[in-house]
Amino acid sequence: MASSRLSGADGVVSATGAREIRHERWTIEPVRVGLVARVREFWRYRRILWFFAGRRIKERYESTTLGKFWLFARPLIPIVMSTVIFGRMLGIKSDGVPYFLFFLTGSSCWRLFDRSVIAATRSLDQSRGLIKKVYFPRLVAPIASTAPSFIEFGIMLTLTLLVGGYYYYHEGVIYLRLGFLALLAPVAAGLAILLALAVGFWTSVFQVRHKDVQLSIRYFLQFWQYATPVIYAHSSIPEKYRFLASLNPMTGVVELYKWSLLGVGEFPGRALVSSVAITLTILVTGAAYFNRAESASVDRL
Amino acid sequence: MDSLVVEGLGKCYSLVGESEQTVQRSLWQRLRSPFDGRANVEGDREFWALRDASFRVEPGTVLGVIGPNGAGKSTLLQILARVITPTTGRVVGEGRVVSLLELGAGFDPDLSARENILMNAAILGVTRAEAQRRIPEILAFAEVEQFVATPLKHYSSGMYLRLAFSVVINMNPRILLADEILAVGDAVFQERCQQKVAELAKEGLTVLFVSHDMDAILRICNRVMWLHKGSVRREGDPEEVVDDYQNAVWSQADIGSSERGRRSNRFAEILSVRLVSGTGKDLGGAPSSEDVFVKVRIRTRNSKLLLRCAMDLSAKGQLIFRATDEHVRELPEPGDYEALAKIPRNLLAELSYAVTISCTFKRANETKEYPLVVYNALSFIAYATQTPGAPSSGRLQRLGFIAPQLEWIVQREAGIGV
Repeated sequence: MASSRLSGADGVVSATGAREIRHERWTIEPVRVGLVARVREFWRYRRILWFFAGRRIKERYESTTLGKFWLFARPLIPIVMSTVIFGRMLGIKSDGVPYFLFFLTGSSCWRLFDRSVIAATRSLDQSRGLIKKVYFPRLVAPIASTAPSFIEFGIMLTLTLLVGGYYYYHEGVIYLRLGFLALLAPVAAGLAILLALAVGFWTSVFQVRHKDVQLSIRYFLQFWQYATPVIYAHSSIPEKYRFLASLNPMTGVVELYKWSLLGVGEFPGRALVSSVAITLTILVTGAAYFNRAESASVDRL
Repeated sequence: MDSLVVEGLGKCYSLVGESEQTVQRSLWQRLRSPFDGRANVEGDREFWALRDASFRVEPGTVLGVIGPNGAGKSTLLQILARVITPTTGRVVGEGRVVSLLELGAGFDPDLSARENILMNAAILGVTRAEAQRRIPEILAFAEVEQFVATPLKHYSSGMYLRLAFSVVINMNPRILLADEILAVGDAVFQERCQQKVAELAKEGLTVLFVSHDMDAILRICNRVMWLHKGSVRREGDPEEVVDDYQNAVWSQADIGSSERGRRSNRFAEILSVRLVSGTGKDLGGAPSSEDVFVKVRIRTRNSKLLLRCAMDLSAKGQLIFRATDEHVRELPEPGDYEALAKIPRNLLAELSYAVTISCTFKRANETKEYPLVVYNALSFIAYATQTPGAPSSGRLQRLGFIAPQLEWIVQREAGIGV
């Protein structure tokens, strides 16, 4: 009974979907699939990106007793601590903006990058169960793994706006930029994500081979953060080191973000050019490397 | 037109000690010999899980894939499922490939049945609208309609299995890859699965079914391929290939291949374990109409040893019985001995059996015992020579681990009535 109904439906499908389903020929060969073909394939599979992303987000916040509280607490706790230490105790200059707001802005952008790199690095390992059982373009794994960072970023952006409102209410000063130039902030965030993916493409494959990567990536990122104007202002970097700082692709990104939201500092033109150039280079080579090395890595998972 | 053409397919793994594989090592090697590409290869060993496998499958074939562990069966399926990339060769196929390789693979236990169906559809490249439309059928076939919104982690394994099968089978597949999973689950659903598979096979679905369960293979498949050490050893009619396979594999009386256990101590050594006929001839299988013997050859190194032998007979991984020699035997002087255990005719069922041998030695004046054990020292298949007039005597109808011929008494009841 059930089966006859099913076969009837099958008939319908084969009639309507005959064109694409029935006659699709495929080959499996040791020959590597080129990056362009891979990206095209990725596009066809884009729908599973949402499932993966949803899964990652669920994993993060599920079965926590305080639930939504953590959404805000997780990013906020380190910021409050750093504000006390760097802003109050060490008195680091923040371009005339309250340190709390200054640091909140800088670290929203940084955290988006930092969290995404860590998530992408673990991504192949984390989806091992699925990767070893079913086929999908593996590029999906690192890309989808950055989803929770977006949520966190959204929350931090909301916080930034709230804190800006607070200062206006209490001190009557508008620190936030209200013009259309503020729309460059999402561009900076986009750059941060792209750079994170670029780094993640390399590290996720390395991580399968060398578990050392997972252990060291946090320290590496910490070091990177200190090299980026997050806890301090770009203006406090001595002139002779500015060029060096602009070689750090995150400098331009974080500066652009702060500039567009807070309107402090200068438009980081030169740093941004180098950011974009470096990001694109690492992104393309990273994707190519990922594409080349992922199958060998899957053998090792 | 073949639905699947496999040519010279091979998969090579390089075996590297996982512990050595750290950044430190490879960096160090690279630093020491930066221009020597072989530096890394040195410690590597190669292992071909699949080597030069070629075959063609026509649409509608249910192809059983058999072979001992490590023959490359799973590797083959994994390559076809595109989970791993082959090292050599190529596969050309047509239509959607779905796999049912492990219970719940591709399922997320935290998501509901509905969401899982949609996710699998996405992975298989089925459009969302199409998947939406099929949800009722999928749930109906899996008989889980009332649990659409329940996360899969609350499903029983039976429901899980039914849903998994129902999902892949309803995605309009042209090629289905399945392992033992097709042969598990409750009998009713198994029956329905197999019916469904047969039905779809008639419409041109190709099935590759990997199993160690020869009964299931013979029941489901219309062709069988025997893989051996990564290549195709034989392919053809199920009955013939399975027979061949069982004879070849189970007749190996090579105790050297038994890895576990202890076959030698300072008093004695177990030289070989074989299945022999009443006339002492080596046998590959045990005909049910004859007595057969498990022959253990023992070499002793000391005089005045006491020996007690035991044999465990198992089938399908289950111990069926242990037969221990009721006597302790005296072996007065060093030399070669043989111990024979008789397995009487009409005892064994048509199954493959494995024999584990243990010999316990003792010195005449000591209490300490020195056991020797050879696990799975011998495997053999028992087969029926003739089953005259027995009801439903086909090989597939046989059930149970042994099939002893019991004496039946059928007579008219005394006394009562009439």
